[in-house]
Amino acid sequence: MDLLARIEHIGLLTWVRESSSIWAFPTFLFLHTIGFAMLAGLSAGIDLRILGFARGIPLAPLRRLFPLMTSGFVLSAITGITLALADATTKLVNPVLGVKMVLIVLALVNLRMIRTRVFARADAGAQPLPPGARRLAAASLILWLAVTTSGRLIAYIGPVAGL
Amino acid sequence: MNLTLPHLHLLLNHFPTIGTIIAIGLYLGAVLRSNDDLRRASLAIFFGLAIVTLPTYMSGNAASAEVQNLPGISKAIVEAHEDAAVLSFIAMQLTGAAAWLALWQMRRRSRPLRWHTPVILLLSMITFALMARTANIGGEIRHPEIGLPGADAAPIQESAGPVLAWLTSGSLRSLVVDHTWVWPACEALHFIGLFVLVGVVLLVNLRVLGLMKAIPFAALHRLLPWGLLGFAVNTTTGMLFFIGAPQQYIHNATFYWKIAFVLIAGAIIFYQTVFDEPWEVGAGEDAPMRDRIVAASAILLWAGVIYCGQMLPFLGNAF
Repeated sequence: MDLLARIEHIGLLTWVRESSSIWAFPTFLFLHTIGFAMLAGLSAGIDLRILGFARGIPLAPLRRLFPLMTSGFVLSAITGITLALADATTKLVNPVLGVKMVLIVLALVNLRMIRTRVFARADAGAQPLPPGARRLAAASLILWLAVTTSGRLIAYIGPVAGL
Repeated sequence: MNLTLPHLHLLLNHFPTIGTIIAIGLYLGAVLRSNDDLRRASLAIFFGLAIVTLPTYMSGNAASAEVQNLPGISKAIVEAHEDAAVLSFIAMQLTGAAAWLALWQMRRRSRPLRWHTPVILLLSMITFALMARTANIGGEIRHPEIGLPGADAAPIQESAGPVLAWLTSGSLRSLVVDHTWVWPACEALHFIGLFVLVGVVLLVNLRVLGLMKAIPFAALHRLLPWGLLGFAVNTTTGMLFFIGAPQQYIHNATFYWKIAFVLIAGAIIFYQTVFDEPWEVGAGEDAPMRDRIVAASAILLWAGVIYCGQMLPFLGNAF
């Protein structure tokens, strides 16, 4: 039995994939969406502010959103990895999943750069935005759009799980 | 007696037509007397009608599925009613969106802008004309006594005019069903709209709950149109799913819950757009208890919308 099939046969993963329980596959999928929406949604809100919409919003308090975005990321990563491994023989060989992973790494690196460049100082926002901040924010929005699109397309492109 | 979906349709279907003509009258009165409170009230009715039109349209689809094969029902008239409903639904949503935008701008400026009156009046009158036409055709489904002698569906369909004659529920259904790429593309857009909406909902409501107290509510108010944009993208793509495969939704209790949550969450968006209490929460201030409850409800309701949406095939019977 090859590696991917052996992964699929791990007890928990078999349960997630095959159980008819509402707590199995459906709940993992829901939590994946919730975690992702927290991460991408709050990131998009910050991006819009940096791009110049709702300029009245001071930047410094938005720093408190980063722990929430981290929680959203952890939630979507745990559930996402579980979902991918539960269908390892079809999902891990899907090129769209590879594209999505690359896009996520880029989006997270980009978010990290926004944090260090725009939110580093205690008086963030009292000063004019650092050069390149708008470019980072625009890139962030585009990357989240691309991550979402590739994530949805995994369900439609590539091998289908044996249902 | 059970409240069935055809009953619900008969209950709701008078609101869009009658409500629109009442709101137009109030709006004209407000313009003539320069009464901004009355103007806000009539804009609020337009927004509310746009929300109510969602379940009106959807319950109509369920009603159509149930009556279409009954004796004495003309399938052609039911279909003509459905096509008329698509056009009037779209016009009503555009009117509701323009009304919301006008309310949002008046919250900041307290005076109407120059575009408001012509755009709102034009859109609402088009909506009324289309709604009245839809209602008229709908009436003929069960009331042959009011139909003109010899009336059949073909001239009814043509009365939309050549420009809009292609925009029917049938043409929208084949757009969604006949092209393999349309459904996945709408799914991608539906999730993009979802995260944009969630981002704005979280920012605004977490502030009210006290997370970023240094931000005045009025500053976050400027982000609301982005949330509404996400909402509009999801209403559009969601309606395309519904029109493309109505049988997946009209007998799906999870879907009813989803729409019920959307309606209440829509009412909260309206409250946070125009009311004084949230608007007056300044930098460093705590929001009153009522607004915190509203904010917590908004977050839970949108989580509920996402839960029900995700559970359509699992708890419900879609796909």
